[in-house]
Amino acid sequence: MAFVTAAYLVAAALFAAYALSLAARQRLIAELSEATRPPAER
Amino acid sequence: MRLLLILGITLMLFGLTWALVLAPTELIQGPPQRIMYLHVPAVLTAYAALGIVFISSVLFLWRREARWDRLALAAAELGVLFVTMTLVTGSLWGRPVWGTWWTWDARLTTTLILWFIYVGYLIVRAWAPGERGARAAAVIGIVGVLDIPLIHWSAILLRTLHPQPTVFRPEGPALPASMLIPLAINLVAFLTLFLALLTLRVRQEDTLARLVEILEGGA
Repeated sequence: MAFVTAAYLVAAALFAAYALSLAARQRLIAELSEATRPPAER
Repeated sequence: MRLLLILGITLMLFGLTWALVLAPTELIQGPPQRIMYLHVPAVLTAYAALGIVFISSVLFLWRREARWDRLALAAAELGVLFVTMTLVTGSLWGRPVWGTWWTWDARLTTTLILWFIYVGYLIVRAWAPGERGARAAAVIGIVGVLDIPLIHWSAILLRTLHPQPTVFRPEGPALPASMLIPLAINLVAFLTLFLALLTLRVRQEDTLARLVEILEGGA
C-alpha cells in the first residue's frame, strides 16, 4: 500500500505546486494592476 | 469557473475515495493496481491538454491572434503537469508489479519523449518571449502531438512490458464495472479540474497581456 500512498501524495503535491504558481501569478497581476492605476486613485 | 473548480475537486475526492476504499483489489497485482485510478485519468487528461495545444497553435499560426497563443501556453503547462503525474505514478506502479522503477520500453520511452518535447516548449516560452518565441513554440506544440499516436500504438505494435489497452479497444473495455465506474468518475473529475484550471490560467494570461499593454502604452 506504500506505493499507492506515494502515488496519491505525488499527485496531490503536483496539484499543490500548480495552485501555488497560480497564486504567485495572481499576486503579480495585483501588483501590476496597482501600478497601472492613476496616482489619484492609489 | 468557480463552480467548475468546486465540481472538479468534489468529483476527484469522491472518485479517489471510491478507488481507494470501495473498488475491489485486483487478484494478481494487489493494492498497487489502485494507482490505475490516477495514472489512466492523468494520461488521458494530458492528451486532451496537448490536443488543445495542437489546435490553438494551428489557429495561432493561421490567424496570428495572441489569444490562441495564450490558450496554447496555458494548456501546455497543464499538459506537462499531467504527463509528469503519468510518469511518476507509472513508475510507482511499475516498481512493485514489474520489479523496476523504469525500463526503456517503447511506451515509457515515447511518453518520456512527450514530456521532453513540452518541457522544451515551456523553455522556449521562457527564454524567447514575444512573437518570435510564440511562433517557435507553436511549431513545437504542433509537431509534439505526433508523439501521442506513437505512444498509443507502441503498446499494440511493439514488444513492451506495458499492458495492452484495457478500456479503449474495439471489442469494449476489459475491466469489470466495479473498476470501470470509479475509473470513469476519476476521468471526468480530472477533465473537469483541468478545464477549471485552464480557464483560470487563460484569464490570468489575458489580464497580464492587458496590463502589459497599458504599462507599455504609458511608458
